[in-house]
Formats: sequence, C-alpha cells, structure tokens
Amino acid sequence: MNRDITFGQYYPADSFVHKMDPRVKLILVVAFIVAVFLVKSLFSYIAITIFVIVGILGSHVPIKSILKSVRGIIFVVLLTAILNVFFYSGGERVLVHWWKITITVESLLFALRMALRLIFLVLGTTLLTLTTTPMNLTDGMESLMAPLKLIRFPIHDVAIIMSIALRFIPILMEEVNKIMLAQKARGADFESGGLMKRARALLPVLIPLFVSAFRRADELALALDARCYNATPHRTKYKVLKLGWRDAAGAFYSALLIFAVVAINASFWGLFGFSLSV
Amino acid sequence: MSIIELNNVSFDYQSGEDLSRGVKNINLKIEKGKFIVLLGHNGSGKSTLAKLLNGFLIPDEGDVIVNGIHTKDTKRIYDIRAKVGMVFQNPDNQMVASIIEDDLAFGPENLGVPREEIQKRVDWALEAVNMNEYRYGTPYKLSGGQKQRIAIAAILAMLPEILILDESTAMLDPKGRAEVMETAKRLNRDNNMTVILITHYMDEAIDADEVIVLNDGEIAIQGTPKEVFRETEIIKEAGLELPVSTQVALLLQKAGHPVPLVLHDEELVEAVCRLK
Repeated sequence: MNRDITFGQYYPADSFVHKMDPRVKLILVVAFIVAVFLVKSLFSYIAITIFVIVGILGSHVPIKSILKSVRGIIFVVLLTAILNVFFYSGGERVLVHWWKITITVESLLFALRMALRLIFLVLGTTLLTLTTTPMNLTDGMESLMAPLKLIRFPIHDVAIIMSIALRFIPILMEEVNKIMLAQKARGADFESGGLMKRARALLPVLIPLFVSAFRRADELALALDARCYNATPHRTKYKVLKLGWRDAAGAFYSALLIFAVVAINASFWGLFGFSLSV
Repeated sequence: MSIIELNNVSFDYQSGEDLSRGVKNINLKIEKGKFIVLLGHNGSGKSTLAKLLNGFLIPDEGDVIVNGIHTKDTKRIYDIRAKVGMVFQNPDNQMVASIIEDDLAFGPENLGVPREEIQKRVDWALEAVNMNEYRYGTPYKLSGGQKQRIAIAAILAMLPEILILDESTAMLDPKGRAEVMETAKRLNRDNNMTVILITHYMDEAIDADEVIVLNDGEIAIQGTPKEVFRETEIIKEAGLELPVSTQVALLLQKAGHPVPLVLHDEELVEAVCRLK
C-alpha cells in the first residue's frame, strides 16, 4: 500500500520561497509550466534546470523530499519515454532497425526531452505545494478567483471545500490502512490474483471507507455550524496576503527565465540545440 | 439570572431507530460560572439535550432561553452559537484547516472579528489550553488529547460564555481524558467559564458543582455529586457505574463499617486508614 503522502505536503521552513505570496507563486508556476512547454534547445533546457535548482535552493526543502515526488511518477515518465522512442517518426541517424521498429538518435533525444519536461513539471508544482501551506494555497486561489464574485460564484465556499479536502487526505489515508488491516485480519487478500480480482478485493475496503467518510462529513457539518460558518457576509481574514520585495524579485527572476527560454529557442543558439549536440 | 433556562422542554427525534433519543419535560436552570456534568448512558437523550442548548435543535414544546435569547429566534441563532461553544466527540472531524492557528482563526473569521482582535484571541486561546508551542504545526502528529484541546481552543477563540463538551472525552485514552478534564476545570476556575460536560463516565463528575443524570429522556436526579452518588438505585437504573472508590465505600458501609460516602480515591484511603 502506498503510504507515501509527501506528494503535495507542506514542508515547514523559513525560506525565501516560503515567504513569497501564494498568489505570485501560483502565477509563477503557471508561467513555469508554459516555459517548460516552450523549451526546445539544449541551452533552454539548461536555463530551466538552473531555474529549478535555484528555486529548490531558495526553498530550503531537502532535495530528498522533492525527489520523492519524482519517484511517484517515474513509471509514467519511463512509459512515455519508451513509447516516444518507438513511435517517433522521422530521424535519419538509425541506431537499430529490426522488423517494423526503428530507433534513431532523434527519437532517443525526443524521448529524453519529453521525460525531462514531465520531470520539470512535477518539480515545479511540487515546489509550490511544499513551500505553501494548503490554507495559503486556497487563500491564494480564492484571491485570484475574486473576479468570479461578479457572476455570484461562491468563491469562499469553494475555497473552504478545497481546504477541507486537503485537510482530510491524510485522515482518510490512515483510515484506508486501518480498514485494510482489519480486513486482512479477517483473511482478506489484497496482493494476489489478477487486476480484476484485486479490484474486487478492494470493495470491502471502499464500502466502510465511504460509510465512515459520510459520518465524518455529518459531524464536520455540525462543527462548521458550531463555529458559526456563514454567520455574516462580512467575513474577515486572519491572514492577509501581502506582496513584498520577494514577490517582485521572484517575478522578475521568472520573467527572465521565460525571456531566456524564448530568446534561446529563437536565436541561432537554437541551432546548436539538443539534436546537434551529440 | 441563569445563563441558560429550559422551561418544560420536549423534543422527539424523528428517526427510525429503536432508541427514541428524545427528551421529555426538561426543566433546568444553569447558573453562570458553574461546572455542570450531564450524565447518561447511550441513548439517554444527553446529546439531544446538548443540541437543544445552542439551537442545533429547536424544541417541539417548551422554550430554551440562552442569555435572554430564545433559540427559536432564527435571526439571532449565531449570537447564541457564538456564546454557547460546542466541542464534539471526534477531534479530527472538527478541524477545518491544516495549520493549527488557521483552524483557531476560522470561528472568529466567520463572525467578522477584525484581524488584530483575531490575533489576540488566537494567542489567548492557545495559552488557555496550553498548546502554545504547536501554533504553526499541523494536527496530524498530535495525540488525541492534544487534538481535543485544540478543538476546545478553536471554540474559545469565539469567546463563548458557555462551553459544552459533548462526549469530548469518550474517544480518548485515559491520558487524553485527563488532559481534557484538566483543561475544562482550569477554564472554569480561572476564566469563570460555564462548563457543561456531557459524559457517561461518572468519575468525571466528582468535582462538578452540579450533576444531572438523564435517563430515557428525563432528568432522573439532579444535585451535587454527593447527593447524586448516594442514590445507587437511580444510578443503576440509569445504566451508569459509580467510581470505584465510591463503590468500595458503599460496600464497606453495607458491611457495617463507619465509612462516609467518598468520591475521590484519596478520600477513600483516608477514611479506610482511620478505621482500625
């Protein structure tokens, strides 16, 4: 059973990245994702790598916790890489030709680029969730979605739903483990058999889990009422988001990255890119 | 003037279960600053009674008046709920935020309390439950007793006048129970907080100002712990169990030894030592 709940879990520290405004971080992550999809040449990959390394160093999060998140998707990365190697059409420098399968230098490089892209995407988003508390993250989203208030979209309710969902992930994980142990003690077998048999074996886990989740939801609803949720439309905020010099610095730094990526891609440097570098 | 007044209150649970869990003809006056323990076995209606006190349930008959406000007055229901804070059984199901100080701020935020004031209240509430060092932590790593103390602090941050602990000790281990009891007693003593503790453990009632035993939706007996604990027949009928030291004292009395009715273990030791 996958008990690793580090993915998306906050890592408390007092760093530059931690102190940035969650709204800025959210926008920067979106910008970063765009940049990752723009990279083409070797030099722009280097630029992105430097950006990520500086980001990690500036977050004081141990490299281990960050790599944990990559470990979680390593299967997906490998699978896409392998598929890319086989299905990449074109390329001239043939390495292997066997039956209908052709592996070229270009296809290998393409697969490598795709794999790197995926890893960068996960690194960037993990850095956000590791350095931002769920509450801050939802506050940031709430603030960024503020224009939706105009069309009477219940932003605050959505923000609370997100925050509660994040809060209950580890609790429900623990519950799954408990139920599985209880069923194992009664002779349940989750490990053997084919996919269908294993999926069916999970049914006696899912049903108690749902029952308990609904019971929790009931109690939580009472607790929300007891704490006067929706008592007044003039709700106040304990934590006010404030932009600081760090946010300006971070934004400038990211703008520099995107500029660098685009410029390197477009300029003649791109010619010396990945495909020619081998 | 009493802070909570129940006049001839009846409530019938509309559920298909065997246990009616309703309450019948409850007359009760709760004075400010008192420590009250509401005892009863499962299905005796004690939780129903608690939910009538902060307007979660509205009585079918009779009136519940909190601080001069009627719980039927739906417009002022949040005035009542902010004054009558309620802590539930499972601490995990009461926390909305993953960071403790954010969770504490949730109640005051809902009430529209200004920011600086929330800051002060969070400071005070954490201090009141002795959990200051956990302020920026997450609840995952805390023990049951610590989580429940945070749940109490989250209610305290709304500055209630009455604290209802609705079986808040039922899920905890003995150490956690002791922590929560100690916190409740301290709040009552130092902050003049009116505490209503709902439980089925009689040993939690020994230091109460007033004990109310509920059986089958009705008040079976009401009085000081000594007055109530003496009525062994009623206690038995209500499905409750006396604390061990009281049981021992009663057995000694039966055997002809001149032992007074005791509640605490220390009292029993002292009484027995004096026997000879």
